[in-house]
Amino acid sequence: MDHSKQIQDIASKLFAENKIDYFVGYRQNAIDDSQVPYLISDPAEIPRLVFTDRSVFNLANYLKPEHTRRKRVGLVVKGCDSRALNLMLTESQVKRENVYIIGICCEGVLNEKGEKAQNCIECVMPDAVVYDEMIGTPTGKREYIVNADIKELATIALEKRADYFEDIFSNCIRCNACRHSCPLCYCAKCCIDQETSTLYHGANTSSGAMHALMTWSLHLAGRCVDCRNCEKACPSHLPLHLLHKQNESVIYENFQQHLAGMEKDDRGAFYKYSLSDPDDFIL
Amino acid sequence: MSVFIVETDKAGLQKFYEEIIGKFETYAPVEKFDKYDYKKVSNLSECNPDSPIETTMSLKPLFFPKTAKIMKFQEDSSGTTLSETDEDPLAGSRVILGVKHCDARGLQVLDQVYNWDYIDTDYQKRRINTVIVSTRCDKAGNQCFCTSLDYDVENSDAHDVRIVNGLDGKIYIQGVTEKGEKLIKSSSIQQPASDGAKDELSKHYKAFDASFRLKMNYTEVNAKLQKLFDSPEFETVSSNCISCNTCAFICPTCHCFKISDEKIKDTGVRYKSYDSCNNGYFTLMAGGHNPRPVKYRRWRQRSLHKFVYYKERFGMNLCVGCGHCAISCPVNISIFDVVNQVSKIMQ
Repeated sequence: MDHSKQIQDIASKLFAENKIDYFVGYRQNAIDDSQVPYLISDPAEIPRLVFTDRSVFNLANYLKPEHTRRKRVGLVVKGCDSRALNLMLTESQVKRENVYIIGICCEGVLNEKGEKAQNCIECVMPDAVVYDEMIGTPTGKREYIVNADIKELATIALEKRADYFEDIFSNCIRCNACRHSCPLCYCAKCCIDQETSTLYHGANTSSGAMHALMTWSLHLAGRCVDCRNCEKACPSHLPLHLLHKQNESVIYENFQQHLAGMEKDDRGAFYKYSLSDPDDFIL
Repeated sequence: MSVFIVETDKAGLQKFYEEIIGKFETYAPVEKFDKYDYKKVSNLSECNPDSPIETTMSLKPLFFPKTAKIMKFQEDSSGTTLSETDEDPLAGSRVILGVKHCDARGLQVLDQVYNWDYIDTDYQKRRINTVIVSTRCDKAGNQCFCTSLDYDVENSDAHDVRIVNGLDGKIYIQGVTEKGEKLIKSSSIQQPASDGAKDELSKHYKAFDASFRLKMNYTEVNAKLQKLFDSPEFETVSSNCISCNTCAFICPTCHCFKISDEKIKDTGVRYKSYDSCNNGYFTLMAGGHNPRPVKYRRWRQRSLHKFVYYKERFGMNLCVGCGHCAISCPVNISIFDVVNQVSKIMQ
């Protein structure tokens, strides 16, 4: 999968027609195979834009107010990224007319070891769901898979499950890279940063990390699109997807096979209250 | 500096490590989730003191913990009562194995600020009671640039004990400080090094220095950055920063902290934990004004504090060239690139 040329052409066209103020893509990292998000406002930098199976980072993250400051932007999105972008549009975080979306029909990206990333193996929608221009051949929606690690999580007895997570979260350093790398964590002031609050204190205790990460995962329940930006950003390499995929599988099962961000104006499972919603999975 | 050197081989070094682990409370790089971090060990098989991979977290948390209780408080009708925490910073002495040059230098840099106007007694206690044993740094990592900075890596006195590879499988164990010399003397490795040891060590250093991909002209970068407070380049280099705090939390020398309370009913604990100048709220004042509300101002502060302000005040560069931040950054920003790009000295 190498769409660098097409992306460069589109970016040149957009700058030439004055449709965008800046463009967000990827460029090659100087020292290894990995790629870095690349924000350009000068057309002279277009030749550095690339897109291959190393284009991992979810660029929808750069639509948050601190990056865009309300300018018109051209953006490259893969399937999962476009779902996040769809939710940002639905939740009025981004104005549709301010983004020019280049959708990719993604063939899966690679992880650090050069293997296909786990979320790409489990991917339900590799094609961009919202776009102005599409690159590649759409392959359509795939079957939803619950991976072995989530099934295994369900077999751990409830009272032991807390210990299991406590053990994982004891490695958390509370840097909040997970939150900052998540396109859907756009709150101007996050509840876990309320430093005057004694409920969400900022200390680095394992109970503090547990509290913060559990709250975070619940705020993303029914919204997480499984791009795994958080997990890739985590300096402690915590398996954060366990929280999100567990929520996702419960929601998929109980709320009419709901998957976040797949359709335009779909506000998510928790916004559509119905008396017939099941509640037997709630502890 | 002490020149006490003993000579051994790989098996001898393993024995040296085993003896230390048997006798002292020992910390060493331990693997978890595909990465290394310093953890308490009771057996050599649990850890890898010779790991060529950098630990993700620096040595800092063992001296300036991620979270420390600073006091307890209780409220009742008569007011608030404060009390000391029951936490002892460090009961006995301890040894840390597998420490790289940069990490050890990081502590020397931190000493400056901790010995400044306020003496942090907990930090001092941890520092005095710890013996730091180096790893065999043979080859520079992708993001390392320690030899380009303002300290002498070859004759560094940041470690208490240095372990260096010689020729033909020989390994030299050098006591750099009194503490280190005492540690070596208490072990069973006692064969004094041969006369050629010094030459071998300097040859080893030359090969080590040559393995660096990143080299910078520190004096020039420092001199130029002093005049570049208003450089528009800060905006370019920070454009893809996502303002997370990873770089500061894992940095061996970043020492900013925040205070927070955990309170249940009328009793609570006050904690001190890491904070970062890359955090948007870091400079938010009570009245609502924020002098560094945008990314490039925060990056300017970070770069200039590392390469200019600290050097002016304490005579040491705050960045030690370990590359931890570049390795862990979610978007691969490297402070090396940032300062070189801003000062327009491209390599």
